Amino acid sequence: MAIEVKIPTILRTYTAGAKSVEAKGDTVAALIDDLDGNHPGLKGRLLTDGGELHRFVNVYVNDEDVRFTGSLDTKLTDGDVVTVLPAVAGG
Amino acid sequence: MTRYDSLLEAFGDTPLVGLPRLSPRWDGEYPVRLWAKLEDRNPTGSIKDRAALAMVRAAEADGRLTPGCTILEPTSGNTGISLAMVAKLRGYGLVCVMPENTSIERRQLLEMFGARIISSPAAGGSNQAVATAKQLAQQYPDWVMLYQYGNKANAQAHYEGTGPELLRDLPTITHFVAGLGTTGTLMGTGRYLREKVPDVEIIAAEPRYGELVYGLRNIDEGFVPELYDDSVLTSRFSVTSYDALRRTRELTEQEGMFAGVSTGAILHAALSVADRLASKDPADPSGRADIAFIVADGGWKYLSTGAYSGSLQQAAERLEGQLWA
Repeated sequence: MAIEVKIPTILRTYTAGAKSVEAKGDTVAALIDDLDGNHPGLKGRLLTDGGELHRFVNVYVNDEDVRFTGSLDTKLTDGDVVTVLPAVAGG
Repeated sequence: MTRYDSLLEAFGDTPLVGLPRLSPRWDGEYPVRLWAKLEDRNPTGSIKDRAALAMVRAAEADGRLTPGCTILEPTSGNTGISLAMVAKLRGYGLVCVMPENTSIERRQLLEMFGARIISSPAAGGSNQAVATAKQLAQQYPDWVMLYQYGNKANAQAHYEGTGPELLRDLPTITHFVAGLGTTGTLMGTGRYLREKVPDVEIIAAEPRYGELVYGLRNIDEGFVPELYDDSVLTSRFSVTSYDALRRTRELTEQEGMFAGVSTGAILHAALSVADRLASKDPADPSGRADIAFIVADGGWKYLSTGAYSGSLQQAAERLEGQLWA
């Protein structure tokens, strides 16, 4: 199962500069584990030591924030697009 | 009564207008209807007039603002323009810290109202504007920073104004959709509606900017407004410039409403929810929805960005690196 993951500029040091990479997993948690296998260290930037999403990291599945769809347990299906973005100020 | 003693009295109470063409199902027993709250009808043409006025009044009431004071605020535009008008009428100076990648119209309006603009680097986006303003606040302790991201009067303005107005005009409301910036609109309106309407859904639309705006050096430089409480929301969408522009144009073409680009992002989130509900069986009562969304401002201030001319792809490319919400 291939899922496209869009990586923000500040985390591309982990993906050799790639803007987007492919990963596998039927949940966001599994996807992050798979990502970390191919891009070691990435998981540590996305999750806290307690295994929660970092406060300043937002993860979207098809543009919807996973914090409101089950967080790391959010289900993924083939063809989904996952976008990782840092939290920034608006207004 | 539509007569007021001053412009400062003539804000809020904005019209709520239906979208019979863009709504997935306007008629029938269980309609899925969209309603636009026209916040561009406020004195300086944006929803930020509510927060600006409320923050100034609160600071006057607690004695922080006294005649002749200078107000300091980090803003990407609309809050600055609202504050500039209020400051002029109430006799204050205003210093705005604004990212340099905001539209020329915003700068011209601020200058016309007599505000002083301090530019922060484009590469830092609003984050950098906030950081710069905090430094200035330390350097100039007599300046009063109202700080829209953490000022409870911002959310309270919507708890007392936007929320009750919506419920009065749309007692059957099931969803509320607004932009997520300072989070004041969603927190205030969302809390009010949650208290009054069982199972109401509160949906956030946030702009997804081009790469330039995310020029942070590391994740720890991220920013979450102090006002933000995610337990008020039920879902949150990130909307690209392309989708925001597409919906902004649809709103004009199909419903005659000329709105700013952030409204397109809000409409995109509203339609995502509406289309999901409309895909249910039309005889299923759980498909009924009255979805109110915010028109944050009109399109006038964005004409120079090219958002309204040429192909969508061209317009989206032109917006790359601009702060449009």
